[in-house]
Parts: sequence; C-alpha cells; structure tokens
Amino acid sequence: MEKTNNDTDRIRNEILDYIEPKIYNCYQCGKCTSSCPLSDVFEYKPNQIIRLVQSGKIDAIINSNSIFLCLSCAICSSRCPQDVHIATIMNYIRNEAWKSGRFKIKSIKRFYKTFLRIVSRTGRSYEPGLLMSLNFLSGRLFNDMDLALDILKKRKIRLLPEFVKERKQITKTIKKYM
Amino acid sequence: MKNSSKKNNNLNKVAYYPGCSLNSTAIDFNVSVKKLLDVLDIEHIEIDDWNCCGTTPANNIDEELVVLLSARNLMIAKNMGLEDILSPCVSCYNKLYKAAYYINSTSELKNKREEKIKASIFKTLKDMGFDTGQELNFKVYSIIEFLYLKKAEISRKFRELKQVNNENEEYSILKELIPVCYYGCALLRPKDALRFDDVERPTSMEEILKEVGIECVDFSFKTECCGAILSLSNKDSVLKLSGEVLDNALENNADSLIVFCQLCQQNLDLRQKQINRFNKTRYNLPILYITQVLGVALGLTFKQVMLDRLFVPIKSPGRSKVKSHNNDKGRLN
Repeated sequence: MEKTNNDTDRIRNEILDYIEPKIYNCYQCGKCTSSCPLSDVFEYKPNQIIRLVQSGKIDAIINSNSIFLCLSCAICSSRCPQDVHIATIMNYIRNEAWKSGRFKIKSIKRFYKTFLRIVSRTGRSYEPGLLMSLNFLSGRLFNDMDLALDILKKRKIRLLPEFVKERKQITKTIKKYM
Repeated sequence: MKNSSKKNNNLNKVAYYPGCSLNSTAIDFNVSVKKLLDVLDIEHIEIDDWNCCGTTPANNIDEELVVLLSARNLMIAKNMGLEDILSPCVSCYNKLYKAAYYINSTSELKNKREEKIKASIFKTLKDMGFDTGQELNFKVYSIIEFLYLKKAEISRKFRELKQVNNENEEYSILKELIPVCYYGCALLRPKDALRFDDVERPTSMEEILKEVGIECVDFSFKTECCGAILSLSNKDSVLKLSGEVLDNALENNADSLIVFCQLCQQNLDLRQKQINRFNKTRYNLPILYITQVLGVALGLTFKQVMLDRLFVPIKSPGRSKVKSHNNDKGRLN
C-alpha cells in the first residue's frame, strides 16, 4: 500500500486494496443505477459513485445524500455483470463518514444514535421508546400516531423494555464505536 | 436450488434467536414460527440473555460493531452446546451469518483487513469471558432455508392431516386465496455470501407452500426492496416502494401476499393505509407470514398462529369481491 497523506487517499486505497479490488472492472454500463430502487433520489447514482471512487473524489460522495439513503438491498452488487460489490463499497464509505462525524442527513443520524443509545442501555431494542424519542427529537410529535392506536388495539407491541442481564458488555461495546 | 447444508445433521434441535422485533411488533411471526417448529417436532432453544444484533444502524456506522454484537450471541449458543442457529428475522440472520463468517474456525478470510477485524472481535469476546480458543463451527439458517430443508417432513405431516384438512374451514379460507410470494431484498443478497436460491427468480417459498396444497401466482416484484427501515427516517420512499410491490401483486391478479420478513410485513400490512393515502389507492391485501400459512395447514388455528392480528384482515370467501376489485386495481383517480 502507498503512503497516504490524507483521509481521502486512505479511504480510496483501502477500497482498492481490500474492500473491492475489482473496482476498475466497472465499464459504466449503468445496470446498478437502473436497478437501484432509490437512484432517482440519489444525488450521485451508483455508477457515478464507482467513478468517483476511482478518481479519488471521496469527499464528493460523503457530501452527497446517496450513501446515507442507500438501503443496502444490494441489488446493484447482485446484478453487476462485472461482479463489482457496489453496496459493500457504499457501506464502507458510510462507516468512514460516521467515524469522521460527517453523517450528512440529520434524520438518519438521529435515528441511528437514538437506536444505539437504547440498545446500549438495555441490550435490546425498544420500539415504543425509539418511536417516542424520534418523534420528540424531530419535532413531529404525531408522526405515525395513527399506527400507534392500531398497534395497541392488536396488542402488537411490547410496552415495557427488556433488559439483558449482562448489558454492561453491550454498553461498553457500543460506546467504543459510537 | 443449491444444497446448502452439507453437514450430517438432521436439524432436529436448533438454537433459536428471535431478535427484538419478534418479541414485540412481530410477535405473530415469533409465535407462528415456534408453534410450527413444535408441530414438526423440532426442538428450539432460545439463546440465553441474547442481545440486539444492532441491525441497520450498527451495520451502517461500523462493520466491526455489527459483527461483534452478533458474535456474542453465537458464543452464548456455543456455551449452551449449540452451533446450528435459526433466526427468523432476516436482518438478524444476515448479521449472525456475517459474524459466523468472521469467527468460524474453518472460514477463510479474504484479506489482512478482515484478519484485523477478526483479531479485534476475538479480543473483545475474550474480555467478555468467552473461550475463543475452541473450535467454532456455526451454521446460521434463515427460516426459508430451514423450512426448505424440512420440506419432506412438512409434506409428510400434511398428508397425515389430509382428512382433517378437508373439513378444516380455516385451511379452506387460505386455500381460496390467490397469493404471491414476496421475498424482499435481504435474504438472497449479496449473491456470493448468502445464495441458496435464485437471486432474481427464487422459488423456494412456492415449493414449500405447494407441499401443503397452497398454489401461488408469479409476480415480478419478488425480490424488490420494500423500503425497509427507511420507514423511520424517510417514510415517503417506503410508501412509494411498498406501493409498487402491491401494484405489481394486483397486476398479477393476486389477492394476498405471503412473506417471511417482519419489516416487509409491517411496511405492507400496518402501513397499507398510509400507502393508500400516499398513492391514492384503496388496496385491501392481507399480508401473511409463511409460517402462519404452514401452521394452519398443519392443524393450527388462525388464533394460534395469530392470523387474527393482521391489520388488513383476510376476507372470508363468501363475501369476497376480490375479482371485481382487482379489475380496477383499486385506483381512486
């Protein structure tokens, strides 16, 4: 691996060396983009992301909405005729964006943080707590309240949180990565 | 379909990992899986003190974190003497599968980066008090792969009940349905890792259901994504994507969908009225778990498999106007 001076080079080299060494096999056919369920809302389409990685423009990717909206459904990887694992590349860049505090879309950042905070406290996810905190934090207090009544009527939610006995292990683990 | 399990093992005893939603909003999935396993005489032992797999949030912020969370659950199963893991939730399944890839003794990791991740995971597991020096050989099963391997037993059990089922009203209601099987995106991708069925045109669900006399119609959106967990942060995308799945089911004259993922189920069932509002439709399609359908075919009641808890209920055949409803596809405008 070459010596690197900055984050962008490091991320690009990591992708070329380990995450997807086949990235230069991409011949820009666009099959990933035509398969992607969200490419119409992506600022950069999946095939453009590949070109941006090749040309070292990692910042442009992190500053666009694509990697954050990506659902990891991996249809792009699965249909790629050149076997380039686009979804894996996108997840890697997303991980790096988190580590450097550059998670662009606030609603998604808030969701991840709230979710992991709950899991780190109890060891498990707790849906009523998650929904209530998200509505509170986003200021959309009555979002999905129409569904809440239905759920209660059908008794399809656990009202009290569950606690893992050894939850200290989980707390410690999650803290290390958040 | 490829033969995915080469182990000399008849899988009559598994470690069961329900995951958080199956203990809450997908309680019907959990109950129907467990009742079905009981009917098939498969011993399922819940992993002690299991923790959340971290799902999309953990995966999207740090690969090592998401592997670690599931590795802890696998190590507990190992301590209980179990290495065959059944995880009905497809998101948990993917995470457990990935963790098994990292920690199994026989796994060949791809490169130095993965070796580094493995070393770091083993260090944390050791700190938690697990014995990482022992031979580890986990095999993680999704519910569909598992049921597919159990097809012969399902078939045998069903034949035993044939006489009963002829008079079973609830089974006839299900038999009247014209369902499509919706696989969603997460089970069969990425292709190298998880494939046990065709990525684009899977047939395992249809094959399993055929064993109990349920015939399904084909549709084109079998493996399209429903929008998944974006329902909590970008709801409109979900309402659009899930709406398209329902559109396509109706275009193929189906009147119901059979699924195995609680996120698909919730987006399509619980949110169906939101989908209708968003897309100006008035769909009315029940979304059933495959385990509920199999359970009823193998002698359980609607109530036992919690089919009474669907938000969009199954119409009883007498009053059904499915056919005429399908012709105008329920579009309002």
